[in-house]
Amino acid sequence: MTSEAQQRLEEYLGRLRERLRGLHADDIREIVEELRSHILDKAGAGGQLTAAGVAAALTALGSPEKLAGEYVTDSLLAQAEISRTPWRIFDALFRWASLSLAGFLVLMGFVVGNFLGAVFVLCAVLKPFHPQTAGLWRIPDPAGDLQVSLRLGFGSRPIGGRELLGWWIVPIGLVAGCLMVIMTSSLCSWCVRQYRRSHLLPRR
Amino acid sequence: MIPSGRESAEKWEVQLRKGCLELAILAVLWGGTLYGLEILRRLESDSDLIVSEGTVYPLLSRLKALGLVKSEWVESDAGHPRKYYALTSAGRERARSMAAIWTRFSSSMGKLLAPLGKEK
Repeated sequence: MTSEAQQRLEEYLGRLRERLRGLHADDIREIVEELRSHILDKAGAGGQLTAAGVAAALTALGSPEKLAGEYVTDSLLAQAEISRTPWRIFDALFRWASLSLAGFLVLMGFVVGNFLGAVFVLCAVLKPFHPQTAGLWRIPDPAGDLQVSLRLGFGSRPIGGRELLGWWIVPIGLVAGCLMVIMTSSLCSWCVRQYRRSHLLPRR
Repeated sequence: MIPSGRESAEKWEVQLRKGCLELAILAVLWGGTLYGLEILRRLESDSDLIVSEGTVYPLLSRLKALGLVKSEWVESDAGHPRKYYALTSAGRERARSMAAIWTRFSSSMGKLLAPLGKEK
């Protein structure tokens, strides 16, 4: 193989390796070596391995960024399907969201569900520290309508407001918050499972 | 802008071909072990599928993760090792059931579409 051909090959594989970060080291090695073998076979089909032959083989494979994306996205979605760790699920959904509207919507649902769950739990935890102000409040707005607001207790008592749950916010907030986080994760995992079943590979 | 009938049909054809790729790979491996480039060449020569190389390798990796194929590195005369794929028993089972679904589906679609080919 000419040195120029070697250089092109290593540069491509280096960019691919870089973009595969996040996968297990053994998987990265396996992917890179398989593609190296493919490129050498393809470029060497005519005899001598030339820079032009290697370049043609690399063009047929597509950009290393896109190729790595195919591997990483599927791997992350596979992890999200079996994972119960919110961060792992978020990571996979974030990547899915960059590929399709469906992914974006599921990611939004995941963020909103977890945010609401976290606020409920926080409210319950902060109630003993802010007994007069933390809780679920019914407050009149300037237009005269009543609105329900979950308050963490920072600041003063809302004027004209009435607290709805009192100390019940502690057990209710903890249970509702945890349920929301668990159900959001389960629902998003279910969406990922349906997506992976219906799409052999993420479409671009 | 509403895409023309021809454009829509072409897009639909791309999705259809893409959806058939898993079955096509399992079918190609039915006859024995092959490495990536051999699988690609078989797909090109024996099917009407237009296969992107950048799609087949991640798909093989996925099929392996699902336990439908297994792989083994084998030294070659070319001077570098090649990764050979073979169907697992789960892969053979999947290929059989997918082929049965395909046959049933294409036969019923064939009946449905038969009048379209006849001139009035």
